[in-house]
Amino acid sequence: MTTEELNALEVDKVVDARGTSCPGPLMEAKKAIGIIKEGQIMELLSADEATKVDVPKWCKKQGHEYLGTIDESGFFKIYLKKQ
Amino acid sequence: MKKKMCLALYSGSIDKLTAAGIILSGAAADDMEVDIYVLLQAARAFRKDVGDNPEKLNMAENSEMKVEFLESLKKLNVKTWVEFFAEAKEVADVKIHVCGLAGKIWGGEVIEDFVTLADDIVGITAYIEATQEADVNLFI
Repeated sequence: MTTEELNALEVDKVVDARGTSCPGPLMEAKKAIGIIKEGQIMELLSADEATKVDVPKWCKKQGHEYLGTIDESGFFKIYLKKQ
Repeated sequence: MKKKMCLALYSGSIDKLTAAGIILSGAAADDMEVDIYVLLQAARAFRKDVGDNPEKLNMAENSEMKVEFLESLKKLNVKTWVEFFAEAKEVADVKIHVCGLAGKIWGGEVIEDFVTLADDIVGITAYIEATQEADVNLFI
């Protein structure tokens, strides 16, 4: 998805993991995915570079849809849809 | 069917326990079933009066780096090794088994002598069986 499309998404759950380092953001995403429903969208905020690589891989393995990442100033917004 | 990991945790050093906690977190996030076998020096770290107390644990090597290591972890807001293990148990099927002999070496006779994360006390047969059933075997 393009940055414009990602920014236009209606997010169901925002998970702010910017205060943690790897594997913190991944574990926060893991906990939050258990809370949201199928088809809902999560926005994961992380300042940890490794999360950009980890989360798409994790989504693929877990069967969730990775939608994309937006680079902000000093952190990332990572979008995924629960399947 | 979920993938299985068997982790033989031998080290009782704070850096290797932290590394084990990070690997365990990744496995838990991936929904793996994990069996941890707490052996020899690790059993001392799991003792109730040791656990999260960094004063009672050393580095695996380069002991002069302990202060720098602990300060960096704190600055980066990284969990303690006990917190990593607890969080993994929260989100996935993680069982922690303490080797009976290892426990006794460090004065732990019953499961209540160890941190509450520990599930049971077992013998070597349980570990060997777990290694045969696991998709991934690690020794730390």
